[in-house]
Amino acid sequence: MSSLTESRSVTGRQGGRRMPRLFGEVGPALPAFLLIVFFFVAPVVALLLRSVLEPVPGLQNYETLLGSATYIGVFANTFIVSTVVTAAALAIGFPVAWALVVMPMTWSRIVFAILILSMWTNLLARTYAWMVLLQRTGLINKMLMAVGLTDEPLTLVNNLTGVTIGMTYIMLPFVILPLYGVISNIDKAVLRAAALCGANRWQALTRVLLPLAAPGMAAGGLMVFVMSLGYFVTPALLGGTSNMMLAELIAQLVQSLTDWGLGSAAAFVLLLSTLVLYGLMLKFFGTSRLGGQ
Amino acid sequence: MTVPFLKIDGIRKEYGPVVAVEDVNLTIERGELVTFLGPSGSGKSTTLYILAGFEKPTLGDIRLNGQTLLSTPSHQRNIGMVFQRYTLFPHLSVGDNIAFPLKVRRKSKADVTERVREMLKLVRLEGYEDRKPAMMSGGQQQRVALARALAYDPPILLMDEPLSALDKKLRDELQHEIRRIHHETDVTILYVTHDQEEALRLSDRIAVFSKGRIDQVGTGPELYADPATRFVAEFVGDSDFLSCRVTHSQGGRANVVLGGDFAVEGVPLHDERGTPGEGALLLRPERIDLSRSEPTGWRGLPVRVDDVTFLGSNVHVIAQTGWGETVSVRLPFGHEHISGLSRGDEAWLRFDPNEAHVFV
Repeated sequence: MSSLTESRSVTGRQGGRRMPRLFGEVGPALPAFLLIVFFFVAPVVALLLRSVLEPVPGLQNYETLLGSATYIGVFANTFIVSTVVTAAALAIGFPVAWALVVMPMTWSRIVFAILILSMWTNLLARTYAWMVLLQRTGLINKMLMAVGLTDEPLTLVNNLTGVTIGMTYIMLPFVILPLYGVISNIDKAVLRAAALCGANRWQALTRVLLPLAAPGMAAGGLMVFVMSLGYFVTPALLGGTSNMMLAELIAQLVQSLTDWGLGSAAAFVLLLSTLVLYGLMLKFFGTSRLGGQ
Repeated sequence: MTVPFLKIDGIRKEYGPVVAVEDVNLTIERGELVTFLGPSGSGKSTTLYILAGFEKPTLGDIRLNGQTLLSTPSHQRNIGMVFQRYTLFPHLSVGDNIAFPLKVRRKSKADVTERVREMLKLVRLEGYEDRKPAMMSGGQQQRVALARALAYDPPILLMDEPLSALDKKLRDELQHEIRRIHHETDVTILYVTHDQEEALRLSDRIAVFSKGRIDQVGTGPELYADPATRFVAEFVGDSDFLSCRVTHSQGGRANVVLGGDFAVEGVPLHDERGTPGEGALLLRPERIDLSRSEPTGWRGLPVRVDDVTFLGSNVHVIAQTGWGETVSVRLPFGHEHISGLSRGDEAWLRFDPNEAHVFV
């Protein structure tokens, strides 16, 4: 008898405690949670609503966007530039990250300092610097002509070439840092094993190092690609008037034309394509790998 | 004169001011299993890395069938290696790990499949082909590493303390497997270890490394019965050392005096330089006899018992000489003088001078 009541009272006590404990764990996070809802979720919902409600309810904003060759061109520019920037950043970033892992500590510290300092330098200042470097009489054209690679100065600025160069530079640290983390975690003995197995440098790179660095490439690449899709400053300064990117278009629609409906629709298409890409990445590389593990 | 299979000829390796390998010379016959035995920092791993091509020697040469290996990069040496750490490719399955060296050699698909199957059978891991390394135990991973290293039929297999991360039971099991695989494949194995028991169990010959040199090369029994240096005596088998004074030496034998008045005559001695003089007498704990009463007919070394430990099949006795040196003695369980032996008892030790050694 006594054991029965005892056991019942134990379960009763546990059952009684479970609810307040759960609340006790979530409770302190509530203000932050509300903050996120208010500042992050609500604006997105508002954006979606504006895109289907302004100037009149309906999907006409999306029809305009997807039905016009000009707007489709802007989307195409955005995706092409983002893809090229991501590919270039990975192609340059991988060897740099590898070098950072294998070079002597003193040297890698210096390179890290340069990377971090460049990230801390004002974005506008860096972009204007590229404008100077890339102009027709700029350092890069002078050098190209001096070594005889070209007779005429190349048009490197006020077009998508300039945007791509500038953005690749801005995005490099975002690829190098995660790749550095992943590569420094690869046991170098594995590469020695590959060499003794008969793999030459190229085979060791393509069959062992790159597959092992793939999670870092995916994380860095995704970050750069998503950031590039919505990037404004560099395309606005280094880009031309004829080949616009999406962020510039949204700015123009909202600021100059005060067409909030169309601007919201463009922003929403951007958000949606980003989410789709993220979903695809998760599918191929898994949550754990992108989650930094 | 025939060309030796593998010749390590005067290898020296310096890292800046540090000399990791001073002067290593060794000739290895085809099909031998030779262990490099020594404490960490004795140069055994560096020598192995030079063989693998990860390090270049400052001086010296390595010749395989008379041809120098030093000008060949690692990936063209066709040498197999199993590492101390687990170095399976984590992104590849067990089957693909074993297939890796075959694929980079552009073997046909049918050959690769066949060889992977053979190798899995050799290391007794049939059916594990599709597992990822992370899903296997340390012992299994090292078996796969062994299969990967042997898949391309290398003439030489290097093993760098491959079992040091495993527990004792697994280690014993894998030592046995390595012996078996060595017999089945006839591959020449160079095996680095700091564990004398492992070296004794595995090897045809043992090269004892100390301070960048090989002190002695020989079979386990040779090293045990006839150690060339005090270091080898300490490293192979258990040992007692008693300080002694060498009074006379001739023809590889010495007469010594222990503790001022205990004379021992005709003890083997390797190097007569420095005699007469101070030296150390080596005794093996299991080759010492103990008597509890003053022996008649032979002169025993009187000691006081400090400790008696029962260790199953034998009993470990720690005793102290009159002048304060410690001797450990191992006697078989059931020895007539052990029962009732305890701390503080008087006893007499006896040993055969032929089995002792003097180092000066």
